[in-house]
Amino acid sequence: MFEARLLNGSIFAKVIEGLRELVNEATWECSSNGITLQAMDSSHVALVSLVMRSEGFETYRCDRNMSLGISLVSMSKVLKTMGKDDSLTIRVNDDSDSIIIAMESRNQDKFADYELRLMDLDSEHLGIPDTDYSCTIKMPSSEFSRICRDMSIMGDSVLVCTTKEGVKFSAKGDLGQGSIRLVQTTNIEKEEEAVIIEMKEAVALTFAVRYLSMFCKAAPLSPQVGLSLSEDTPLMCEFKIAEMGHVRFYLAPKIEDSEN
Amino acid sequence: MSTSNNFKRKSFAGQNSAAPPPSGTQIKRPKRANDDDDDDFGNDDPAFDDADLENKENAIELGHGPAYEPTNVKWSRPDIPSIDPLKEKLVFQQIDLDTYTDTDGTPNILDKSRPHAHGHNTVIRLYGVTDEGHSIMAHLHGYIPYFYASLPSETFTAADCERFKQNFHAALRSEMRGKDTIASDIVLSVELEHKSSIYGFQADSKRQQVLKICVLLPRFIATSRRILEGGFSWTGNKTQLDGYKTFETNIDFEIRLMADLNMVGCNWIEIPAGKYSIREMVTRGITHQLKIHSRCQMEVDVWAHDIISYPTEGDWQRIAPLRIMSYDIECAGRKGIFPEPEHDPVIQIASMVIRQGDKEEFIKTVFTLGTCANIAGVEVIECRTEHELLEKWSDFVREVDPDIITGYNIQNFDFSYLLARAKTLNIPTFPYLGRLKDVKTTARVTVLQSKQLGRRENKQINLEGRILFDLLLVLLREYKLRSYTLNAVSYHFLQQQKEDVQHSIITDLQNGNAQTRHRLAVYCLKDAYLPLRLLEKLMSLINYMEMARVTGVPMNYLLQRGQQIKVISQILRKCKEKNLLIPAMKINETGDDFIGATVIEPIRGYYDTPITTLDFSSLYPSIMQAHNLCYSTLITDGRMKQNLAEDEYITTPTGNCFVTAKVRRGLLPEILENLLSARKRAKQMMKEETDEFRKKVLDGRQNALKISANSVYGFTGAQVGKLPCLEISQSVTSFGREMIEKTKALVESEFTMSKGFEHDAKVIYGDTDSVMIKFGVKTLEEAMKLGRLAATTVSSSFPSPIKLEFEKCYYPYLLINKKRYAGLYFTRPDKHDKMDCKGIETVRRDNCELVSNLISTCLIKLLIERDPNGAVEYVKNVISDLLCNRIDISQLVISKELTKTDSEYSNKQPHAELAHKMRKRDPGSAPNLGDRVPYVIIPGTKNQPAYERAEDPVYVLDNNVPIDTKYYLEQQISKPLLRIFEPILGDAKAESILLHGEHTTVKTVVTSKVGGLASFITKKDKCIGCKTVLQEQGTALCSYCKEKEGDYYQKEIESLQELEEKFTRLWTECQRCQGARLEDVLCTNRDCSIFYMRRKVQKDLGDQNRLISRFNVDPLNW
Repeated sequence: MFEARLLNGSIFAKVIEGLRELVNEATWECSSNGITLQAMDSSHVALVSLVMRSEGFETYRCDRNMSLGISLVSMSKVLKTMGKDDSLTIRVNDDSDSIIIAMESRNQDKFADYELRLMDLDSEHLGIPDTDYSCTIKMPSSEFSRICRDMSIMGDSVLVCTTKEGVKFSAKGDLGQGSIRLVQTTNIEKEEEAVIIEMKEAVALTFAVRYLSMFCKAAPLSPQVGLSLSEDTPLMCEFKIAEMGHVRFYLAPKIEDSEN
Repeated sequence: MSTSNNFKRKSFAGQNSAAPPPSGTQIKRPKRANDDDDDDFGNDDPAFDDADLENKENAIELGHGPAYEPTNVKWSRPDIPSIDPLKEKLVFQQIDLDTYTDTDGTPNILDKSRPHAHGHNTVIRLYGVTDEGHSIMAHLHGYIPYFYASLPSETFTAADCERFKQNFHAALRSEMRGKDTIASDIVLSVELEHKSSIYGFQADSKRQQVLKICVLLPRFIATSRRILEGGFSWTGNKTQLDGYKTFETNIDFEIRLMADLNMVGCNWIEIPAGKYSIREMVTRGITHQLKIHSRCQMEVDVWAHDIISYPTEGDWQRIAPLRIMSYDIECAGRKGIFPEPEHDPVIQIASMVIRQGDKEEFIKTVFTLGTCANIAGVEVIECRTEHELLEKWSDFVREVDPDIITGYNIQNFDFSYLLARAKTLNIPTFPYLGRLKDVKTTARVTVLQSKQLGRRENKQINLEGRILFDLLLVLLREYKLRSYTLNAVSYHFLQQQKEDVQHSIITDLQNGNAQTRHRLAVYCLKDAYLPLRLLEKLMSLINYMEMARVTGVPMNYLLQRGQQIKVISQILRKCKEKNLLIPAMKINETGDDFIGATVIEPIRGYYDTPITTLDFSSLYPSIMQAHNLCYSTLITDGRMKQNLAEDEYITTPTGNCFVTAKVRRGLLPEILENLLSARKRAKQMMKEETDEFRKKVLDGRQNALKISANSVYGFTGAQVGKLPCLEISQSVTSFGREMIEKTKALVESEFTMSKGFEHDAKVIYGDTDSVMIKFGVKTLEEAMKLGRLAATTVSSSFPSPIKLEFEKCYYPYLLINKKRYAGLYFTRPDKHDKMDCKGIETVRRDNCELVSNLISTCLIKLLIERDPNGAVEYVKNVISDLLCNRIDISQLVISKELTKTDSEYSNKQPHAELAHKMRKRDPGSAPNLGDRVPYVIIPGTKNQPAYERAEDPVYVLDNNVPIDTKYYLEQQISKPLLRIFEPILGDAKAESILLHGEHTTVKTVVTSKVGGLASFITKKDKCIGCKTVLQEQGTALCSYCKEKEGDYYQKEIESLQELEEKFTRLWTECQRCQGARLEDVLCTNRDCSIFYMRRKVQKDLGDQNRLISRFNVDPLNW
């Protein structure tokens, strides 16, 4: 039996919204430590890794390790019905082929139960090994979303260059070219509003904007985003889930003249 | 006769250095570039200088053909015995003919009683083979080219002919503008004859007089037409020009002479004793040596009118023991480049020769460059140089002297490659492959445009006296197939696969040793062998010969020309009988379109009661017969009707008038009657035939006759044809429309409850020549009985020979839409004949095989087994297999021909994009122009267009790239599937049951080895039992499943053994196919499902081995 309850159900909804653009269905690995998920997008360019530790849930119970194949698209549809302040319980009974999603309104006057069919996904478990990145940038999520949106006007791919002073995003296309430069914030009052760059080496990498924009769907999860870069290594884009874990996206850099 | 003419075979030795061929000898080859295909007529500008054109066409390269030296008794034809031309007749089957201009004058060894013209003469050459297998060429003398023209005025009389002749002679000569240096008269005679035009009805009493003009050479006919149509003054008074109509001037000379001499394609010819003389022989002491033209064993001279041409009846239907040679070449290409004759050598040529009627080839040879290990039953001829190889092979061809040369794509590839290669290597003796000794074989590019085939660029290879029967081109004409590679074709017809060796591997094999070249030779021989087997199996040659005999055109015309020539030839023959003439019409495209056939709006659905189908047999031909529609019965002048009684003419629904058969029987109805009665005979024979295959042949013949009959209608409607007559074609279709509607009305008014029938009959669908009726009865017996009754009732309201026939019942019947239906076909109530599907995705080529397999299995389950639930279950299983990656990749391959280069495709297409991608990866194995590109669709990012997601199936297999199952489900399977299930399950339900059911929740997610992230990710092992991620990597099971380790291990070992067994089976299958069991399999045949399976199992086997090793069980201790 697996059961997990979140007082603030919207966190879970945001996680699903953040992932479903990239992957339609994925296997949730549930263990006593919490929930993890790893999945690649269908074109094998990006990978998402989710960790939700058990201690972040209000209650959490997992008798034995379980792999749950879930259609994120269907689940997202169900979670859209949830009220803003509802609490959420997800439950899978032993030897059952469906997942139960239960919602309760804050003042306990409305209870909604949904049952979704589980899928049997035969997939391989993938991971990106921990890497020592040359450069880590932290910035407000909203700023990052905006940059992705603005750059996508100019072109398909964005070049990310980091220097000691700041970070520059630039894109070129049929219209012309454009760039956005962010300067490292000098006096940090609120950490989540600052631009912080930790750098060992300068890097310059190109990425497909379309994927970065997909990653931004997870921005509501966290006010701050972390971008970690190294030459010839996938970019890691991390959104923290308060007190629970994180959603990490990995994206392979574009190589000149490569088809993808 | 004391002359010794017991020559083995003519030897040209010694004659080789003789004088060059007389400069005046012009060989007139027919204009073989198709000049009569429907679409091509727009280009046939009458103002075009025919003479220039002809001269260009005549540009035949002459040289010195090499001497013939017999080297091999097995190869050469049997010795020809001594023949006494005075006592023995010659009988042979002619297979080809051409004409030439002879400057030597008529041989005076022939009968003296006829005028012997000197100077330029038109001589016809007939090539043939006797029953004994001797090759013969007959020079037919004394056939004078002629044509007809209208009279310049009413007052023109026979006395004026001489003046006409003189002025016309002058006009013709000035038109030639000194291009010809012919001294003699070029207009031989002008006479008056009583004949009239076929176009438009004329009472017999009003038979016109026409001019018959004989000219010296056939090519003057077209020039004469131009002069006469353009305006010519017979009096010599240039201010008074008359326009003339000409007749028969636009019909091929050969077709006309065959009609005049009563010859049809490939018939038997007898030359009576005493009427001919043999060349190279001394006759009656007069040593008049005529030049030998050919490589035939015997050449004779005869008066054209002395030959006896047998109609193909009875014993004369037989076929001479023709020598059929099939060959194939191999070239050593460079990596990445399709072989080019300028650079890449020819390394092997395999040839097989069979005699028509024999079961086995009597010659099997392979010419190899370098040594080659022996091959059982095959003569291996090792050559040290490529020069020697080509030279020896061309000697071989001349010695074998084949009548028919076949192969696969030899016309557009092998022949032109060899010719170009011989040129590069400078081998002067090579390009003499035809029967004419001194005529070089060349490859010319022609463009063939036809409605039947579309635009095709072909190479023309001239092989005088031999028939080039390229099987690929024949198959393209006759069969609609998914793929036309030799392999796919052999699999389809012979159930034989062949290995497919890549160009790059060929070079490696050649550069190896005698063993590897042996390998290559076996491969090459198979490519020469298969066309012969196909030819035998499909009986293409016999069918073509039949067609040539039925329509009266030479076989070469059938291979190189369109449909029209066949109809023209038949009309011409009938015209000769009736003293009618075919006018040379000026073509003006009016663009008048008339309404086509009627389709009765279908009442869609799944019918679980018998549906009776009534057909008008040969609808259009029978309309033409019933209403006597013909050129010669058309009333062109309204005033003429006044002289005719009411019942002497009819008015068609389109307002055209034709006289009835009582006044004059039309010519087209007569031709149709002949064709249709021949078809009836063939059908009768088919019924009596017990051999399954001969049945198919007869079916092919009756079908050919049907097509011929229907093409008569098409011929009258071809607006840019030789003799268009919209009055006929529009009347035919309008009659057809009326009849279908009348039938519907009759059936629905007669077969009603009020008239005592059980139910009201309803016509649920009708198309062109058939109606589908629901009588409402439950049993087949009743439905058939009512069908027969309805057929007779309706037929009686139509004039003979129009006949509505009851042919079949469909039970059950699935009517999807116009021209889309399926049903179980019953002609007898006890057992169904077949499942009949029209317009359903079982045959279309732009789908993957999965679709056609799925649909046809569903139809079988629905219609034959009547198990809709079973069909639904089956569909669910297939979809589930698709989602779980269990479908064999060969089922998912879609293929399309690469017809244009990248830049020419205006919108992006998957196969073109893929070809481009593959060229980047490896230019060597990438598809070339004209290849069919197989591809599968792989997933991409959201909204990525499908054309970017096409991928090479082999690449997909090798790199474990996932398949875009969603694409296959939604774009390929869903529509055709819903179409057939919606009438059964209901519109909304079908989709939810089939496409969204529980079976779609099990999926396999495949991880690719390529892609942006592939090199960065690490895979974590999962528990083999419960699929959770293992804490301890490299082991097999999690702690929870550990206790059942033995069971799991057992299971995995079993599946390993299964894979191993499967692999061995596939491997042996491939070895068997390549014909060598001790060697590695090199085949990369992308048409072969075994190839994909083998590749896949090979990979799975590796994966399974890795998995087993995780159990960490030492197999030795186990």
